[in-house]
Amino acid sequence: MLAFAFRKVLTLVGTMIGIAALTFVITNVAPGDPARLVAGPNATEDMVTTIRTEYGLDKSLPEQFVVYMGDLMTGDLGQSIVTTRPVLEEVLRYAPATLELVFVAMAIGIIVGVPLGMLSAVYKDGPIDHITRIFSISGVALPAFWFGIILQLTFAVDLGWLPVSGRLPLVTRPPETVTGLLLVDSLLAGRLDTFWTALRHIILPAIVLSFPCLASILRVNRAEMIEVLQSDYIVAARAHGIASFRIVAIYALKNALLPTLAMIGLRFGWMLGSTVLVETVFDWPGIGLYAVSSALSSDFKPVIGVTLVIGFFFIVANTLVDLAYAWIDPRLRSA
Amino acid sequence: MTGPLLDIHNYRLDIATFDGPVHVLKDINLTVNRGDTLGIVGESGSGKTVLVRSVLGIGPKASKVVEGKIAFDGQDITALPEKDWTKIRGIRISMIFQDPMTYLNPLFTIGQQISDVIAAHEKAGGHGVSSKAARRTRTEDLLDQVGLPNPSMLFDQYPHQLSGGMRQRVLIAMALSGKPDLLIADEPTTALDVTVQAQVLDLINSLVEKLNLTVIMISHDIGAIATIAKRCAVMYKGEIVEQGLTADILSAPKHEYTKRLLAAVPDIDTAATKVAAQPAIAEPAKPGVLLEAIDLKKVYRSQSGTEVTAVNSINLSVATGEIFGVVGESGSGKSTLARMLLRLIEPTSGDIIFDGRNISGLTGEPLRLMRRHMQFVFQNPHSALNGRHTIGDAIGEPLRIQTSMSRRDIEARVEALLDIVQLPKMFKYRYPHELSGGQKQRICIARAIALNPRLLILDEPTSALDISVQAQVLDFLQELRAELDLTYVFISHNLAVIRQICDRTIVMKRGEIVEQGETETLFLSPQHEYTKALIESGRKTSRAANLSAPAVS
Repeated sequence: MLAFAFRKVLTLVGTMIGIAALTFVITNVAPGDPARLVAGPNATEDMVTTIRTEYGLDKSLPEQFVVYMGDLMTGDLGQSIVTTRPVLEEVLRYAPATLELVFVAMAIGIIVGVPLGMLSAVYKDGPIDHITRIFSISGVALPAFWFGIILQLTFAVDLGWLPVSGRLPLVTRPPETVTGLLLVDSLLAGRLDTFWTALRHIILPAIVLSFPCLASILRVNRAEMIEVLQSDYIVAARAHGIASFRIVAIYALKNALLPTLAMIGLRFGWMLGSTVLVETVFDWPGIGLYAVSSALSSDFKPVIGVTLVIGFFFIVANTLVDLAYAWIDPRLRSA
Repeated sequence: MTGPLLDIHNYRLDIATFDGPVHVLKDINLTVNRGDTLGIVGESGSGKTVLVRSVLGIGPKASKVVEGKIAFDGQDITALPEKDWTKIRGIRISMIFQDPMTYLNPLFTIGQQISDVIAAHEKAGGHGVSSKAARRTRTEDLLDQVGLPNPSMLFDQYPHQLSGGMRQRVLIAMALSGKPDLLIADEPTTALDVTVQAQVLDLINSLVEKLNLTVIMISHDIGAIATIAKRCAVMYKGEIVEQGLTADILSAPKHEYTKRLLAAVPDIDTAATKVAAQPAIAEPAKPGVLLEAIDLKKVYRSQSGTEVTAVNSINLSVATGEIFGVVGESGSGKSTLARMLLRLIEPTSGDIIFDGRNISGLTGEPLRLMRRHMQFVFQNPHSALNGRHTIGDAIGEPLRIQTSMSRRDIEARVEALLDIVQLPKMFKYRYPHELSGGQKQRICIARAIALNPRLLILDEPTSALDISVQAQVLDFLQELRAELDLTYVFISHNLAVIRQICDRTIVMKRGEIVEQGETETLFLSPQHEYTKALIESGRKTSRAANLSAPAVS
């Protein structure tokens, strides 16, 4: 098991280097002269040349690549042109908000999706199954921005139960930063009222973000459960007199969970990438919003930085999924 | 002790399907007394599994009892509510299954699975669940009882770490955990190797004696039934066509179907009458060796670096026109060898000479062209045909790939091939699921001979088929060889089949040839211990089934 984990971590490092290289290639094949972009439309030829030298853009591509990778190794993601602050610092400032949103959304997706998928499979073709299937199709079909606005109108504007947008109201003093996740930090600081406020803020965006993910977890889990429930060892368990609930909730679920886990890993990456829309609708101060505003002002270093950070979390999530696989399935441990 | 333990009376069962109800069981009458050993024989689709599963209340979901009832120990269990079943299932009636590979949950340890069953029984019994340690002791006792070594180590192992025979013993241990009155064994040896089959049957026999069990065993293998069951019922298309003492049925079958079934069982102790089927002397131009393997070796390397030698330095030569048998148990490397001979698996080292030409170095186009002359027939015809292609497409595929024949020519050739395998021409419009197992295997053979190959490699071509169908396919293969001047490499674990059809045979064990020679010589005076053991275990079930051979034929 340890050797397996070690190999997975090595793969993680390799993949990370691959992503870094790929990002470099993509930014360099993209049309346009970055130096001219930075210098602005009214710059003279001299100014462009100065900037080119300053950013090291006059060197050959391999040389630039070495410098770029070297910078990455030391955690230097470059500087934002707009704010003139280091990109790493800014990304680290915005990332926790996004991560918090994604974690909560993922929790909703798993906690609701897995049991619903199970129920749907056990009562296949019954009323519960039909309702969850309609539910899951709409989950995939509803566009996030539209669904978000509808929720805002209903629960924030009309009913007034929840805040419309943002992460914390301006008047609330944020808890001391430990993890950057407000829900965790407020609990650590023992401030239950702040926790409650943060929770009320995160509910709507998290639901919107979780909906497509919930739907796909539900569908995968349902399909897997249906298949597992027909398998021989389930028949055997029934024949040996094991209680139905135990068969479904333990014997079958553990087997059905493997493909569902793979889906969870993929969805995690997808969520990180698609928070942009949700963050825009709910004015959520995360890296999605940061990347969009940077891209709109042709500020490329932050865009690359965000790409790398999202890539990093995605790979970490999938490595964890692989490890969970081996933890659940003994056959994979020796492989 | 009054009345029978199990009484099935006028039982009729329908299963609702898309096309309306199917009568799966018709007028079943069956009584089992305490201490009885009853065998139910029947081929796939005869309804025997549905019948015994109904006894345990785990029949198919869409089924409906039309008439009759099943009484267990005086209690009507035909329409028992689910909660009452918990007092019966696994405790009073328990079951062992066909394929120990798939009937154990792969993600839980052996110990946990058996302990769970014990806990479930204790719960159903109403007296609380005993401690984990107590259940562990009980589990280890059970494992010991079924003859498994080192129970305490086994407790923490997972199913995939065990061999097939060990898994079957684990399943038997599980079935015994409730101290059942009635044990139902559903094809308990079908998926096992011959030597292991004999051991498992011995185990069941000894348990019957020791624990005074009542047993119902179902199987398509009359030999296995004969070793266990004193009484026997023959099922055909959902009906019991004949029942009585096993010895009587074997020696004097009454029903037409039973007679046919018995006649189809190959006998390990009978020399083949068809061996003289002219080994292609009709082709004097190319006598001698068609296929040769020199020092052929296959080593698999796992990710962690351990090496497994699947096939170790095999030398063999197959003469033109002969049927060359390869026999061995699962894991002996016979399938790997077969696939290497066709270069479907790349050998680690060694040479393959086909018709005087070394094909081990061939790649790309020359290899592709070479494949015209050598074709493969797979074990399971149900998975060897693409369900979305018509039979015509399937047979025509090699013609489309390997030749430049026109559509019309291919159509004509497909019809001719269907004719050769004795199936109606109209079958080309059908889909695989509309065909029976035997018909599908014929289609696979038709596809293999489409290009007029010279060599056919048949990997257990009859193992997935019913016995009566097996006999037909074997006869057919022999006819076909004479007709088309074919050479066969015939792989099987079934010694009786090998003896019936092969000219020369090699016996494989753990990737090596332990013995080889003329098939008859091999059977009459086996030299190697392993060959002797194989024949002895094969004989055990075969002889029981054929104790009446003269009366049948």
